[in-house]
Formats: sequence, structure tokens, C-alpha cells
Amino acid sequence: MRPKIFIKTNFDLCSGCELCCLACSEKFFNGYNPHLSAIRIDHGEENLYHFPVVCQQCDNPYCANVCPKKAIERDPQTGALVVNPDECIGCNLCNRYCPIDMAGVGPEVNYSIKCDLCNGAPKCVDACPTGALETISL
Amino acid sequence: MPEVYMNQFLFVDLSSRTSASVPVPDWLKLDFVGGKGFGAKLLYDLCPANADPLGPDNPLMFMTGPLTSTSAPSMRACVVTKSPATNLFLDSYFGGRFGPEIKYAGYDGIIIMGQATEPVYLWVTDKKVEFRSADKIWGQDAIESNHAIKADLNQFQARVVTIGQAGEKQGKLSMITCEYNRQAGRGGAGAVMGSKNLKGIAVKGHAVVRVSDPDKFKEACATAFQEIKESPACAELTEFGTSSAVAYSEDMGTLPNRNYLDQTFVGADKIGEKAQQQHLFLGKAACFGCPIRCSQMGAVRTGKHAHFITDTVEYETAAMLGANLDISDVRALARLNRMCDEYGLDTISIGSVVAFAFEAIEKGVLEPPPDVDLTFGSIAGAQYLIKEIALQDSPLGKLLALGVRGASREIGMESTDYAIQVKGLELPGFAPRGSPGMGLAYMTADRGACHQRGFMVGYELGGEPFNGEPVDPDALEGKAEMLRQLQDYLAGTDALVKCDFGAMGVTPETYGQLYTAATGQEAGSDFFSSLGERIWNQTRLFNLREGMTYEDEQLPNRLLKEVVPTGPQKGKVLSKPDMDFLRDDYYRVRGWDDKGRPLPQTTEGLGLTSENKFKLPSTKK
Repeated sequence: MRPKIFIKTNFDLCSGCELCCLACSEKFFNGYNPHLSAIRIDHGEENLYHFPVVCQQCDNPYCANVCPKKAIERDPQTGALVVNPDECIGCNLCNRYCPIDMAGVGPEVNYSIKCDLCNGAPKCVDACPTGALETISL
Repeated sequence: MPEVYMNQFLFVDLSSRTSASVPVPDWLKLDFVGGKGFGAKLLYDLCPANADPLGPDNPLMFMTGPLTSTSAPSMRACVVTKSPATNLFLDSYFGGRFGPEIKYAGYDGIIIMGQATEPVYLWVTDKKVEFRSADKIWGQDAIESNHAIKADLNQFQARVVTIGQAGEKQGKLSMITCEYNRQAGRGGAGAVMGSKNLKGIAVKGHAVVRVSDPDKFKEACATAFQEIKESPACAELTEFGTSSAVAYSEDMGTLPNRNYLDQTFVGADKIGEKAQQQHLFLGKAACFGCPIRCSQMGAVRTGKHAHFITDTVEYETAAMLGANLDISDVRALARLNRMCDEYGLDTISIGSVVAFAFEAIEKGVLEPPPDVDLTFGSIAGAQYLIKEIALQDSPLGKLLALGVRGASREIGMESTDYAIQVKGLELPGFAPRGSPGMGLAYMTADRGACHQRGFMVGYELGGEPFNGEPVDPDALEGKAEMLRQLQDYLAGTDALVKCDFGAMGVTPETYGQLYTAATGQEAGSDFFSSLGERIWNQTRLFNLREGMTYEDEQLPNRLLKEVVPTGPQKGKVLSKPDMDFLRDDYYRVRGWDDKGRPLPQTTEGLGLTSENKFKLPSTKK
């Protein structure tokens, strides 16, 4: 099942400010650290380019496929792949097999953190001052 | 007690190759808040009186503030140390992504003492510190070495500061390069790092920074973002960076030309925002957490200087390496800027020292090397001198690496008259004749001639009202009080650590709300001003202890005796009696005696006579 919304990234507009990451870490940890967020900005060529990297909510999701507890499930409303913290045992296999590092166990928690599309209104998109992130509804 | 802090400093002793976490005392958080405040108090307490700035006893400190690393917009961090250029207090601010990372690694600041016996770099992660050999990296430029450290660690998300060859050679114009295109530029902090055999610091951490009242903090952040969004000055920075200040300064008649001989430049149009847009800009980059994105990233992609990546040629760089050297080829200017960034040199001071050398050669008091054109307008001449100053391979390079004060003292022959500096720091690119308040700001700034400790020229010549009233540029009365207010507010907000550009939009009330929501501490309407006054007096006490006197607080003779020959400020000069009046008045409004020494009631009133003293643990092996 394809997600009903997705986050479109426009690297040409990204300034690398990471306000998206701060908004995301605020949501998951009630605090700030871009390394703990479920979105990442890769800065290239001495800041000439910035690439936002977001979860693709894959059709064939390796993170969910490898999960021994089937703790990553598709949200029927948004189509996002969502971690169930009660089921997740923190083995971090999702992190190991996601090729773009979009899921993984964070510090202070014993379960995996990944993008859940904020129930359809992604906070990262709200925080972006440049239009580098857009929410597209299908 | 205040929240949002990580409550630990990282203390590194390079001599013994040991490190420790040192608790941040509550009194320090309450009385000095962070950033410049922490630096002012710690430098006073940790640096022995009359310590050699390039010796092991001089602390090199990287300080964050309570809002650094949070989603409060446009925050920075600072380097504080005793300057080898001035032998006085030095604070130098940088944006980018290194400052926040210090907090994510679990610290409010890094305090580096001692000297390593071999070149090293530090790898700091989640309260773990490694001393790693920099043997293979020593000798590389500041940008190459940033990449080399990341590659050595296989950590491309680490945030790194480095020095280039200029810092390794301990030249007084050398800076610390913070990734990317952000520098702790002024006052020779790079030389302090070089004297410690410290090539770089890499940091990455996973700690969560939490504020005291998340809901109120989000509200205050939303207000701050809105204020930035509605600010025309911030919008201008988003559009052009600081490049459009070239035209602003040219219009005011404050653009230095030919070593400050004149204050207007015929080539101004060729180095301003239109030229940069046409030849350099491609896209925008922001510092961490900043919606302004003032960096206009681009590349020189045509002409003989192609190809290299460049940020905006900032106003200060355009003024000092362009207008002041009579150079109006914007791509060549970007090349000179790039050379300074690679070698790790402050473009402001370099522009001043190269102009000084051109003039000294013109006057016949300095012998030029054969076969190099060292005259105003010579791009090749500027390139030659930048390299010589960075590498210090020649007597001329060694001489100029002392800065204009040091070089003019060596040369003599009245060259101090046109050595454009105060207290050993070269003047930046807003020439002050016609703006006596700006002259006073340069005279009295704690780190030497600095435009960021009270931008009087904006009020005196830029038409900006002060407290709602227009400002008469020629008036002397009231200017000292005006400057005091600006200095105090800026020093107070430099404790957060705010960015000067964010502060063009964010109001004092909103900074207060951000501070309160983050720390849980109340901040009354005069909070930043009284904090700033405490900090300003603390740095004063340091400078006086290190031997500064009121006689050091004066402008070079060129600005006091030679009138501006052309342009909007034609005929203007800052007379010595006028400037003496302003300085006396300034000391008076500061509560200092007639020699500029804080009176006992002043220091007592600010709580600076308390017995609180910050100490580090012993590191003897």
C-alpha cells in the first residue's frame, strides 16, 4: 500500500538550517538534537548543497520485513510505517537494514524511532522556512 | 536552579593529555548566563595575570549559551581567550554547526589549557575525549584539514573546527575555522590554538537538550520566527547576505579606501550585491537553526580564478580586501577571500595590514621585494602578501604577521600614524570620520577596534532612530550614554549567544521570553542590559589587570588629523579634543574613574566583588 501522503524534498531550496530536525527531535524526545531526529540533512561540498533525507515509507520496507516482532506496521490512515513502542524490543535490525539510516533505536528509549508522518501533518514540513520540504497528498 | 544547561564543562589539559568534566556552578549560570558571560568570568579566573597569550597558561575556550542548540532562531557560540594581537580579552563569535554540537556532546563549553608536545586533534563524543595525532594533517589548510579529520575518524556527521597554516605559525591575524564559511575570525584565536599544537576539534553527541517550559518555549520561538520574518533588515540578509552593505556604506561615506585615506570607493558597484549575484551566487545556506540563511553560496566558475566554492564575499571582506586595497574585480576578491579562508586568516585584519604595507612601500619606509607589484589595486600583490603573512617564510611576512600595530612599531618612521588599529586590533570596514560615536565605539570596545560592540554609525549616518529619536551625527553630548546602552545590551545578549543578524528582528522582550522559558529564570525588562553591564565591567577588570590604560583607548592619527578628501564625509575628521571629551564622558557614564578604572561602588553594585571564583581540578600526572 502506497502512503497517502509523502514528504517531497527539494534540495535546491534547502539551506541546511536543520530546523526540520529540531522540530522532529522535539516531537520524539521533547528536546533538541538533530542526530536523534527521523529526518536528516546531508551537507555537501562545503555547504554548497544540502540534501534532506526522509523515510520513503517503502512499498517493500526492509525495516518492517526484518523486524522480529513485526513492530513496524502500516498506519491505515496515512500509509506511514509506524513503530509500535510496546512491541519493539530495541534490537535495531531495522537500522541495520535500512539503506538510508531512517530508523533506529535512540538514546534514552529502548525502541526504534522512525518517521510516522506525524499523523498526516509532518512537523518538519511546518518548520521548514524555505519550501525545501512539502507535504504532497496523493 | 537554571535548566537547559548541560551542567558540565569539558576541561582538556593538552600538556598532560588528560580531560575531565567540571561542574558548571549555579552562581556562574545565574550571574553570567553563558557565552560571553561565561568567557569573561572564566578568563579572569583561569588566566594568570600577564600570561603569555601563546603560552600554556592561556585558556582557549569554546562557550555556548543557554539558547545555543535549541530551536530558538539564529544562535551562535564563541571563542574566548587572551588575544595575542591585543594581549587583552578576546571574544570571537561563530555560527555554523559546531557550537550546538558541544551541547549535544554533553557540555556547556570546552576549556583547553596547556600545550601538546606533538600536533594533535581532539575527538569529543558523548563525554568521551580522544587525543589523536595530527602529524599527517599539520601543514594542511583549514578546509582540507576539516575533511581530513572527518575522513580519519570516518565520521562525516561530526562537526569540526580547525586552524590553517597561519594559526600553526602563530601569526596574530590567524583565526579558527568553523565549518563551513564560519570563523572565529578576529584577534588571533587561531594563533592560540596553534601555540597549543592543536590542529582541530571534532565533536558529535547524542545528548538531548531540554528546556524548562517546552510550551512557553515553543510560543517564544514562534514569536521570534515571526519577528525575523517581518524584519526588512533580515529579509535583506536572506536576499543578499551582507553584500548589499557595500552600497549602504558607500552611500554613508564610510567605505574605507587606500588604507582609510578616503571613505568612498569608485569601484563600490563592482563588489556589491549586484556584482556578486551575477558572478558568484548560486544558492543559500544557513547556520544551524537559522531561518535567515544569510550565506549566499556560490562559485567562481569563469575567468582566470575559476573554479572554487565561495560564500558571500561579506561586507567586511569586500570593504577591507576590496575597497581598502583599491581592488574592484569581484572574482579576484573572492579569490583573496578564499586564500584567507584556506590559510586561516582574518580578512578584516589582512585587508588592513596589506593596505598598511602598500602605503609604507609607497612612502618608501618599507622595502618591497623585487618583481612583485605591491601597490594599491594590485591583486597579485595582495595574493603575494597574504601567502607571506600566512606562511611567514620571509622577513616581510614575519613583520606583517604581527598585525599593523606590531609592524608599525618595528618600522617606526611615523608609520603608526597610518597603522589603523586600536589596542592592537585593526579597524573593521566602517570608516568612522563623520561618526564620532563610532570612533568612541572603536576606542572602547573590549577586544580592540570592533564594529559589533555598538554600531553607532547606523544611528549617526544610517538614519536609524535611537529610542525613537533621530540622532545628530555631529553632536557629542549623549553619545557616550548611547554607546553604553548599546554595549550593555549586546554583551548581555552575547551571553545567549545571539547572532547580530537575528537580533535585527528579534526584540529584547522576545529574547527575555526565550531565556525564561529555556532556563526557568525570570528576566525583567533590564535583564540583558544589567547582565551586559556586569560582563562589560568584568572584561574591563581583565584588561586593566593585563596592563591596558586609558592611553591605549585612542584612534590612530590618520583619523584624528587627516580630513576625508572626497565623498559624503568630505572634510570630516575626528578631532582629538572631541574624542577625549567623548572618552571622558564615557568613563563617567560607566561609573569609572577618569583613567577608565571601575569605581568600587560600580563593581560592588554589579556583584563583581563576590568571592566566587571558578577553579579547575589539578591535572598533575
